[in-house]
Amino acid sequence: MELTHELRENAGFQWVLERLSPMSPFGKQAARNPRWYGPGDEAALEEELDNVALAMELWAAGGTRPQPVDSCGCEAPRVNPAELKDSAAALRGVTRCLPLFHDIRGSFDRDPGAPFDLVELFELKHFLVTLEQVVQAYAKMPPMSGIAFPSLADALELMDPEGRRLPTFSVVNSYHNDLAPLRAEKAKLEKAIRMTQEDKRGPLLEKRRVLAVEEDKIELEVRQMLTRKLMVWKDAFLANMEALGHLDLIVAKAKLALRYHCVRPALSTDKTISLKGVSHPQVAEEQAERGEQFTALELELGPGCTVITGANMGGKTVSLRSTVLSLLLCQCGFFVFAQSARLPLFDRVELILADSGPGAGGLSSFGKEVHLLDQLLRKTRDEFFFVALDEFARGTNPQEGAALARALVRYLGTLDCVALMTTHYDGVSDVAGAHYQVAGLVREIDGDEGDDPRKRIARRMDYRLLPAPPGAPCPRDALRVCRLLKLDDALMELFQADL
Amino acid sequence: MKHLLAPLVGDASPVTVIGLCKNAGKTTAMRRLMAELGEERLGLTSVGRDGEGTDLVTGTEKPDLYVKRGDLFATAKGMLSLCDATLEVVDLTDVMTPLGPVAVFRTLSDGYVQLAGPSAAGQLPPLTKRFQELGAQRVLIDGAAGRKSLAGAGVEGVALLCTGASLDRDMELVVAETVHTCWLFARKRPENPALCAALDGQDARFALFTPEGEPVELPLDETGGPKWAKLPRKPLVVWAGGGIMDPLLKTLARRGAPTTLVAADATHVLAGRSALEQFLRCGGEMRVRKELTIAAVAANPWSAYGWHFEPDKFIAALREVIDLPVVNVKED
Repeated sequence: MELTHELRENAGFQWVLERLSPMSPFGKQAARNPRWYGPGDEAALEEELDNVALAMELWAAGGTRPQPVDSCGCEAPRVNPAELKDSAAALRGVTRCLPLFHDIRGSFDRDPGAPFDLVELFELKHFLVTLEQVVQAYAKMPPMSGIAFPSLADALELMDPEGRRLPTFSVVNSYHNDLAPLRAEKAKLEKAIRMTQEDKRGPLLEKRRVLAVEEDKIELEVRQMLTRKLMVWKDAFLANMEALGHLDLIVAKAKLALRYHCVRPALSTDKTISLKGVSHPQVAEEQAERGEQFTALELELGPGCTVITGANMGGKTVSLRSTVLSLLLCQCGFFVFAQSARLPLFDRVELILADSGPGAGGLSSFGKEVHLLDQLLRKTRDEFFFVALDEFARGTNPQEGAALARALVRYLGTLDCVALMTTHYDGVSDVAGAHYQVAGLVREIDGDEGDDPRKRIARRMDYRLLPAPPGAPCPRDALRVCRLLKLDDALMELFQADL
Repeated sequence: MKHLLAPLVGDASPVTVIGLCKNAGKTTAMRRLMAELGEERLGLTSVGRDGEGTDLVTGTEKPDLYVKRGDLFATAKGMLSLCDATLEVVDLTDVMTPLGPVAVFRTLSDGYVQLAGPSAAGQLPPLTKRFQELGAQRVLIDGAAGRKSLAGAGVEGVALLCTGASLDRDMELVVAETVHTCWLFARKRPENPALCAALDGQDARFALFTPEGEPVELPLDETGGPKWAKLPRKPLVVWAGGGIMDPLLKTLARRGAPTTLVAADATHVLAGRSALEQFLRCGGEMRVRKELTIAAVAANPWSAYGWHFEPDKFIAALREVIDLPVVNVKED
């Protein structure tokens, strides 16, 4: 499945990706487009999550203040405690090398007839020397699944014939029989030039020029020879860069999971979603800046459509985004922002938000919703999919809108999907598989009239999602919310009189 | 060879050779200094590259510098074909230029090299440090030519200022411009320690202080620019983070109260002589946050455009008004 820009942004997945800190150019590339694990990739995903769990354990043990990994719902520590310290040091050895790599993929994108220049050869040798250090450190830690470094020992031998492993490169004499005598002759001449007065150097400099041209020709031959040989190992070079990128991304995922206390998702086989203590890190961070705290949510979603109702500003959309984010993270091999998570693998995950504006392609918010839904339904004919819909059909007249929302909930119930919809329409939850309601504006508080309206609402709002019976009426909180937001008094009077 | 420049720069590193104009004799001074420094292991680079692109493309241009075995230099990858010394690549910097990334080389033989280093001033200090790590005993930088392009070249170590007949046909004007530049480079930090501390942490474009270093609010107009006419009529210190041009000096001159203008360093003062004189006449004082040092003035009486000054007269005229060593690198 393609993770579109819109989906990444709306779900907060992009925000998470931006908080990854891969250290090599290969890891950065891997982090821009993480692999998607769909149905059928369960084994591969479990391997990836094993890798992340292992990296978490080693990273946590390798810090200056070793700390136990939070119990994350996964199995007991995988690394033998006696070896933990050495393995952790080995991982640090690997990660120390990662920032040293330069991106040299471009150098391989060439015709083998065009020789590498000196700086490119330097970069190739630098890559090989650094890779050798990574491979040596990696060999001392428990192996990660799917990470292998095809041997480039012969290439290193070619680039470093003297075996000194110095991070420098020059065309050494051993590459060509004619180089040593030529360079010796040139050096003798250069010594003579130094001993000669400046105004009498002309003829000597001319002689030197001829030798320098000859040297340049031989160096070119050597560079052509090296290029021919190195290009034979192109695939091995690229495979190593791929492995470095993957390893780098695993460590970045592990560091992120440690930082945010994420949990390893368990894969469910019964097409149900179970999230406990799930949060949305982006929203939580914004709240923390305002001095508020995120209310973690609990959600159990079965096949068919589940409906969420509740007060305005009650966090309904945030619950959609948290759910979609958890699914995207899990299916990209990340730990998720929750206390526990059991998730199935979907062919496709979609979030349909009722916004319009620039970029909507001339569609109104209603038009855009319908268009996105139509596209989704066409694409998912034979797929198992998840869709989250935010107040679907709110942009049209309430009578038709409610009917359309009801119809959609019924229709989704017949498809191979799990769906989650928020709505303000009555009667929609009647036909849903399950119904949650935001606990709402439950707290009575007085005496904070001077505060920021957002704070006043947050203080009164219980953001928890509580299971509600099908058909339970939608709360009527618009009036109170308007009042808390300090809407104009005259308008409020008219509003109230009309209710 | 008579040691002319080496005693003047002493142990300073880096030494940046700057020119008041093109063809002021920068390369001559650089070559002379290299020769005088003898067996010292040098680290060489330049600030960008002068625009002789057409020659470069046709390949007719001759490289400038003949370096000795063991020296280090940093240049853009695209310059490799113009270097004929046997080279070892020792590092690749993250400095990108239109001629490719800047790499650091060690020469394994004597030979010609062509320098095209970083063009942003901030990229020089890390490169200087890298040279030292790699064993360079002294760093030489082929700096910019033309006073305007000195901006931001605020260098560590000392500078060697090259001036010459190529700047103008009028010798008096060349002397006056040279004096002006030397005067700017001789500006000192403010004396009040509290003021110095306040300036060191400053990264705004403009800021106001009392002479004792107390911050004063800068009145702003609706576009966020300073309203110079609204400054309180009392002695003030004005910090200017960027380039200082004529209008700022003229405005501050008319303010009617003593003003100390503090620039980041001498190279940030781009204003002409007359505006600066007006500012100083009206009681203004010029200070810098970072002091720079000119070790010597290298004068070239020959221009690239056909005219020349009488060497002795030119050197004498400079010596009369400049309180720094003045040398003629061509003839002494």
